[in-house]
Amino acid sequence: MRVLVISPQASKFDGEATSVVAPVYDGEVGILPNHAPFMAPLGKGVLSIRSDGSTARFRIEGGFLQVVSNTVRVVAERVEGENDAS
Amino acid sequence: MAKGRQLKRRIRSINNTRKITRTMELVATSKLKRAMDRVSATRPYAGALAEVISDLWTAELANEYALLKHPIPIEKGGPTSVALLLITSNRGLAGAFNANLIKEARRRITELESEGYSVALHCVGKKGAGYFKYLGRPLAGDRSDIGDVPEIAHAASLVDHLIDEYAAGQLAAVEVVQARFESALSTPPALVRLLPVKPPTRSGPRPDYILRPDAGTILETLLPLYIRNVIYRALAETAAAEHAARRTAMKNATDNAGEILRLLDRRFNRMRQAQITQEIAEIVGGAAALEG
Repeated sequence: MRVLVISPQASKFDGEATSVVAPVYDGEVGILPNHAPFMAPLGKGVLSIRSDGSTARFRIEGGFLQVVSNTVRVVAERVEGENDAS
Repeated sequence: MAKGRQLKRRIRSINNTRKITRTMELVATSKLKRAMDRVSATRPYAGALAEVISDLWTAELANEYALLKHPIPIEKGGPTSVALLLITSNRGLAGAFNANLIKEARRRITELESEGYSVALHCVGKKGAGYFKYLGRPLAGDRSDIGDVPEIAHAASLVDHLIDEYAAGQLAAVEVVQARFESALSTPPALVRLLPVKPPTRSGPRPDYILRPDAGTILETLLPLYIRNVIYRALAETAAAEHAARRTAMKNATDNAGEILRLLDRRFNRMRQAQITQEIAEIVGGAAALEG
């Protein structure tokens, strides 16, 4: 599935992934491919995007998570640094 | 040769002016490029927000949330105050750029006042603030610290208190006068209504979402983000438009200086030639008189 991470100033990530774990307002949510359409406001925490063998992490705050037609969009007010920890 | 020296001085002065305007043109061109990149970088975020809000928006919700609801009209005792946010640049020498924005703001103020509203004017940028201060109009807000690289925090500090005031029913509307960046040559002023929020229209069916916790709560958290983003975009767009306007103005100034230089050079050369001819005539005349 396709994952997009968008901040107000720029698009921070655009790529294929096998799973996404995102901090929403009341805890973490895991998204796997072919998830049903889903929408929730984001909280504050670490977003991790896993694709074959590597994981991208972002610290995010505010905004929302949208899943529709096998595309995950993480639209956050603040997106910070990616440190690759595979 | 007194006149000639004066001409020479004018030519030198115009040459220097042309150097300055040409430099400003080049600086504006490079700043414009970066400002345009910033404008286009805001598109994915704005697009995603607009799409989601239009997905969630329904007529029932619109009546429930303060930021979507239309206020009670003024005849029925609704709020009588409208906040108008005028975005101008901090610097001049951009042709009619700021003048156009100010004109649009004045037009809107007159229009609102004739409808019976009182207008609280918030200015961003020295040019707009300076003009209205000169007119003696009290400003509700005056920000000249934003400059041409706006940040989302600037937008938040500008509108957050307006959102609160609107939600509390103290304002009938919040409007923005900004420059629209249509192309590098066309940057007309535009009036944008910020509040009540006009939901972006959606084409096609909306997907059947699992909403957590529910549409209303999501909408409530997203609307302030959306409004902030509209302002952020307005700031970024006006900054890009400013550089575009300055580039055009400076290009015209450089071209005009070149034209004037061409005319002055010709006049100077003609004058020098006339003088030489006259001197030769005098020498020849003098020699002829001696030979007698």
